[in-house]
Formats: sequence, structure tokens, C-alpha cells
Amino acid sequence: MSADQDRGGAAIRAEDFIDGFRRPATQGNRVRDMNPISVFLVLGSLAVIAVAVPGIVAPSTVCVVLVLISLAGGVGRPFIGNFSRLFVAIGLLLFVLRSAFAGGTPVLFTIGAITVSMEGVLEGLRFALVVMAISGTVTLYFALIPIKYSMLALELKGVTPRATYVLLAAFQAITDLGKNARVIMDAQKARGIETEGNFVQRVRAFVPVLAPVFLSAIAATEEKAIALDARAFNSRVNHSHLVTLRPTPAWEVVFVAIAILCAVVACAGAVVPWY
Amino acid sequence: MATDNSFARLMKSYGRLTIFLIPIGIAVNFVGGQIALLLKLPLYLDSIGTILVGATCGALPGALVGLLSNAINSITSPPTFAFAILNVLFGLLAGLLGRYGVFKSWWKTLLSAIPFAFIGGFGGALITIWVLGGAAVGGTGLVVGSLVAAGMPVNTANFVAQLPIDLVDKVPTVLIVFAIISGIPRRLMVKLPLGYVYLSPSGGGPGTGATGASRVR
Repeated sequence: MSADQDRGGAAIRAEDFIDGFRRPATQGNRVRDMNPISVFLVLGSLAVIAVAVPGIVAPSTVCVVLVLISLAGGVGRPFIGNFSRLFVAIGLLLFVLRSAFAGGTPVLFTIGAITVSMEGVLEGLRFALVVMAISGTVTLYFALIPIKYSMLALELKGVTPRATYVLLAAFQAITDLGKNARVIMDAQKARGIETEGNFVQRVRAFVPVLAPVFLSAIAATEEKAIALDARAFNSRVNHSHLVTLRPTPAWEVVFVAIAILCAVVACAGAVVPWY
Repeated sequence: MATDNSFARLMKSYGRLTIFLIPIGIAVNFVGGQIALLLKLPLYLDSIGTILVGATCGALPGALVGLLSNAINSITSPPTFAFAILNVLFGLLAGLLGRYGVFKSWWKTLLSAIPFAFIGGFGGALITIWVLGGAAVGGTGLVVGSLVAAGMPVNTANFVAQLPIDLVDKVPTVLIVFAIISGIPRRLMVKLPLGYVYLSPSGGGPGTGATGASRVR
């Protein structure tokens, strides 16, 4: 390939890259391209339905619907993996403990001081399913929507950039400080700090690992402050954005309205029983 | 104007450095828990950032760190959010104690573990009973389960298990906070909202007197 063709290809790629910022951000999927606030409202409505409607059918159905949404959103594999782990680590534990402690009748069996009844099992099952439905909505939201789009949507609704910065920076800091901590721990081990041994020895090893992580992070804040000032972060005018969200289509508004209406009906049903 | 709202005004009153320290505090809460796991410590150590920011920046930033830490943690472990109020209270208490110079001396810091443990243990047990019906999860859940299996009522078992566990957790937590505050350089300490407490000549706190000067790098 000639040098001219090389330069031509690079120019086209650069043009595509620049053009990407002229169009609304897309993740190439209709569900994931929904406005983050719309997704929040739909998933929030599902969580409300799981809590408000009595019995185990509603929370079970919500869990299934969450899996279907994740498949439609193209995040089925990671979501189902995480959701299954939550079911085993938290759902199963809550079910077992709740069933064991709930009491009730008829008694199914007794182990020592623990009496398990049918009433307790049903209550435990509903409780675990409701917690799993709520957990699933939170997990699915973050699987579908990148945090930066959520913050952008909030900023566009008038939330101060300082608040959104705090959240975005927190996610970034968790990753950065986690990496730093591992590097510092290896360095301190190499310097002879005992990271194994008895309890007191291991607690004492905590300070030489965490203190440098925190102090270096504080020292870096000055550079961050200068970088943000250079970008007029503290300017008292509306901020411009490199990324834009696509305008909310009419079908999305109708879809959100239906979801909220279902949640309201479920709540009304909980207050004035219709079942 | 979008930026001129109450949150922005509140943060401005605390100084710009506070905005940068809140994410760091949240990250320290997470990293503290991770290091505890790496060191195979049977402790949570997940409120160091909350107490640290509360003690150096004030009660509200500390409470915000606590709230956001639990909110972010609830993405992977949703029941954690039910306990967010405890982390908020840790931040508020740390701010109050920090203002009174408690974290300037190691023995006052050590004593501060008692109210922190009381909030964590008593409040944690109450939330476990009210929200989770007494079904504690994690290591505490195993202790509660063992006590119930031994014949103790579930509510009593929660209090009996959680208060001592929280005290064992909060003693190293506050001592680590003291050690970190002692290491904050004077030129950074002066910019923190509660920095004046630690730089004041009274007491033997960080950055003061002969002992303080040797600690401040």
C-alpha cells in the first residue's frame, strides 16, 4: 500500500472518529440506546410491582422479565451470570434463614431449636424473590447503561456537574486506587513488611499499604484541580458536552408511561386489595 | 443557572478540595475492604474513607461518602443499601469528633471506636431485624445462625453477635484513620475544611508541636 493510500485511510478514520461526536451516542442496541432516565423509570416500576403485588408470582415474573430485557439489550450473558451468582450468594441464604426463623404452621420438620413450617417456607421464598427482583433491577440498570451516560442524562436534567463529577470520579478512583493498593502492597512486601502471620501483624501491615494509597491520591488532587480549572469546570455558565444523547422518541415516552401506570395500579392494589 | 444550585453552594462552602476528596473517600472504603481480604483479615474495614473524610472535611462530606459508598456497593450487593444509614451516621459522627479534635490523640481516637461500634453494632442489628427479618448475611450471619441454633432468640442473637464484631472492626479502623491523618502533609492539611483543628497549637495532634512536626512530612 502506498504512503498516499495510508494517509487517505487515516484521514477517513479520523473523519469517522470526529463525525462520531456530531451524532448522538449509540450503543447499537434499541434497549441500551433508551434514555438512561427512561430505563431507570421502567426498571424502577418493575421493582415496585415486585414489592407491591403479594405472593410469589409477581417477583418471579419480574425476575424473568429482567432476564428477557437483558437478552433484548444484548447483555444477557454477563447479566444472567451476575444474577445467578446473586441468587446463590444472597437469595438462597435469605430464603434459608428467613424460612428457618419465620415460624408458622404447618410444621414441616424440626432441627434442634429451628422449626421449619410451610408458612415460613412461603414467606422465605417471597422475601428472597422480592430482594432478588430489586437486586436484579439495580444490576440490570448498570449492565445496560454506562455510568457516564447516566451522569450526562442527569446533567441535562439540571443536576450540577459537581455532583455528577463526584460519582464519575468515585467509580474511576475505585479502579485506580485498587490497582495502586496492589502495587504498593507488593512494594511493601519487597521491603520486608510482614503481610502474613498473626492477626495483629496483619492489621499492622494495613497502614503501610493504605496510607500511601490515600496520601498519593490526595497529592494528585491538586493536578486534577488544575486540569478541571483549565477546562472551565468551575465556570458559572452551562457546560458544553462532547457526547450527546439521542432525543427521546414518542414510543419510549409511551412505554415509560405504561410501566409507571402498571406500578401505580400495583400500589393501589396493595392499598385497596383487588386480588 | 444549572450549576448554581444548593449542592454546588454546599460544596463551595466546604472548599474545592472536598469535591476531590469525596471520591477518594469512597474508593478508600472499597480498597480498605479489598486490602482486608488480601491480608486475610476477618474484618470489614470498609468505613475508613467515611471516617477519614468526615474527620478532615466535616460531617456532611463524610455522610455523603458513606451514602455513596453503600449506593455504589449495592450495585453488586443490593442488600448493602439497607445499611447506608449506618455509614451516613459514621460520617456525621466523624465530622463531629473531628471538630472537637478527637483524632489528634491516639487514645481519644481509640475511645471513639466505642460510639462507632455502638452505631454499627446496634444499628446494624436493628436494620437486620427490621429489613431482613433477622437474616444477617456474611460472616455475621454465620455467628447469628450458630447462636440461634444454640437456642437464642433471633433478635437477641443479632445484638449479641453484631456489637462485639463491630467493636473488633472499629478499633483498627479508627487507629488506621489516626495514622493516615498523622501522615497528611501540613501544606495539604491547611487546605482541608477541618485542617485548622489538626494544625492548631493546642494538644499533640498531627502537624503540631515537636511530635506533630516529626510526623508531618
